[in-house]
Amino acid sequence: MTFISLTFFAFLFITILLYFVTPLKFRWFILLASSIVFYAWSGFENLLFVLITALIAYFFAQRISRIYTNPNKRLDQKTRKLKAKSTLFVGLFLVIAALIYAKVGERVVSSLNSILSGEHIDIDVIVPLGISYYTFGIVGYMADVYWKRTKEERNLLKLLLYMIYFPQILQGPIPRHNKLSPQLAQGHPFNYEKLCFGLQRAVWGYFKKMVIADRFAIIVNQVFNNYEGYVGFQFIVAILASAIQLYTDFSGCIDIALGISECMSIELEENFKRPFFSKSAAEFWRRWHITLGAWFKDYIYMPIVVNPKLIQFCSKFRKKFGTRFAKNIMTVIPLAVVWILTGLWHGTGIDYILWGCYWGIIIITSTIFEPEYKKLASKMHIDISSWWWQIWKMIRTFLIFCGGRLLTAPGDIKVTGEIIKRIFSEFNIWIFFDESIYKLGLDRKDFWVGMAAIALLWFISIQQEKGVKIRERIASLPLVLRWIIYYGAVFSVIIFGIYGAGHHSSSFVYMQF
Amino acid sequence: MKEKVLALLQSEYPEIDFTASNSLVDDGILDSLTLTGIIAALTMEFGITIPYEEIIEENFNSVDGMAKMVKKLM
Repeated sequence: MTFISLTFFAFLFITILLYFVTPLKFRWFILLASSIVFYAWSGFENLLFVLITALIAYFFAQRISRIYTNPNKRLDQKTRKLKAKSTLFVGLFLVIAALIYAKVGERVVSSLNSILSGEHIDIDVIVPLGISYYTFGIVGYMADVYWKRTKEERNLLKLLLYMIYFPQILQGPIPRHNKLSPQLAQGHPFNYEKLCFGLQRAVWGYFKKMVIADRFAIIVNQVFNNYEGYVGFQFIVAILASAIQLYTDFSGCIDIALGISECMSIELEENFKRPFFSKSAAEFWRRWHITLGAWFKDYIYMPIVVNPKLIQFCSKFRKKFGTRFAKNIMTVIPLAVVWILTGLWHGTGIDYILWGCYWGIIIITSTIFEPEYKKLASKMHIDISSWWWQIWKMIRTFLIFCGGRLLTAPGDIKVTGEIIKRIFSEFNIWIFFDESIYKLGLDRKDFWVGMAAIALLWFISIQQEKGVKIRERIASLPLVLRWIIYYGAVFSVIIFGIYGAGHHSSSFVYMQF
Repeated sequence: MKEKVLALLQSEYPEIDFTASNSLVDDGILDSLTLTGIIAALTMEFGITIPYEEIIEENFNSVDGMAKMVKKLM
């Protein structure tokens, strides 16, 4: 069951209804029951898998907490910390091993089979729904118990709910235990404003997904799946379409998740903050998939930065090469680790590893050479505070993002190589003027409906950048105008949404991760 | 201590006004890359090790917070 199906709408209606008619104290139980139904819809074996992971996390977090609170006076602070650390590592090892098994198990086992038996055997490996998201949520939980940033969960069922809360299980946002768990456990009274705002946000998410993302996905699939038939600017159009598709698909799904959760007065963390307004690659990753970036920052990057061994290592460099060099080493090492892991989180193929390195190299070089870039701009008499330079920085960041899409969107690094060759094989800029742009999968009408939808998205994004709260602004309008907007939004999704034979609008791009 | 920490921060990041806010992290004035530079500068200059538990907004939101943390860890 995904967000785009009549079954889901019926499921959501029943869940919200049951949530508000149940006594406050037991409302978390409705969330748990509905999340279990939602999860089990993808297969009972998946539920078993996630339950085992919950049990592991539950047991190890309890154990870590008991080490800290053990009344045995012979255990000093250092020993307790050491014991808690080794317990944490065993717990993390088990949980991460399950993630690795789901991600590469099939490939590894069938390769081993081929080597040992000499024949290729296809095997089925259980890949539980949202494993990358709930694993990160649960790793963060165990680490936070170790760092005493959250309390251990004493109720296994509440921990399970934290892991598989249905609005966030498909594509995130990646939860934090200390922020989400108390909200889930607490029964929320009915709030009409939150229900309305939540529904509005969900409709906006459906608009992004069905009107924009699924429309431009047609160009992307048409061009990348038949790349032998295209050259030059046809690929540029496909790459731009792919960038728009990914943003509207992923952020649309997040809007739906946050919206339906808001209907029950449960606030999930924001995962996007208009990333295409970013003026640097580093800023882009503070606005795109925010919870993933924050997770890597808190659980990988910062622990490496403050690691005494790294500091010792950098201090040696400081004596020989100066403070700046040592500081750069201290930045480069954790950034390199984070970007390799970010690539692996998205996929274990060479294309995603290269994609991680691509972003890592851009962010690392722009960080360590920032003073030189500023000097160069000054020498070239560029006013870096001017509006046109700021606009150029936004365009540059968008182009960097498009470069990343070129590495992963075709689905095979060899195809990417072939596409790069074909881009430079012909300068066919006339496709923008001779109507051949309408032969990339979208006819004239569909293409311009998509462009109009992007213009609307752009307009709303600019308003949000200016600090305008769109839903509050709509709520302040006269009744008739307000309802025209509500109906207009719903009907535009129904009328202009992409459906049709052979098109699976139900699958979201980030679900595969 | 506060003066020493402020002098160090100003020499490392002359473009940032560290005295302008008491919520440097919360206001987004210090991002994680700048924080790394500050941690590097503080640890190398004062010969301290900052445990991960101390990497909290409260300790980096102001020069005062950073000075108190350094003093505690020395």
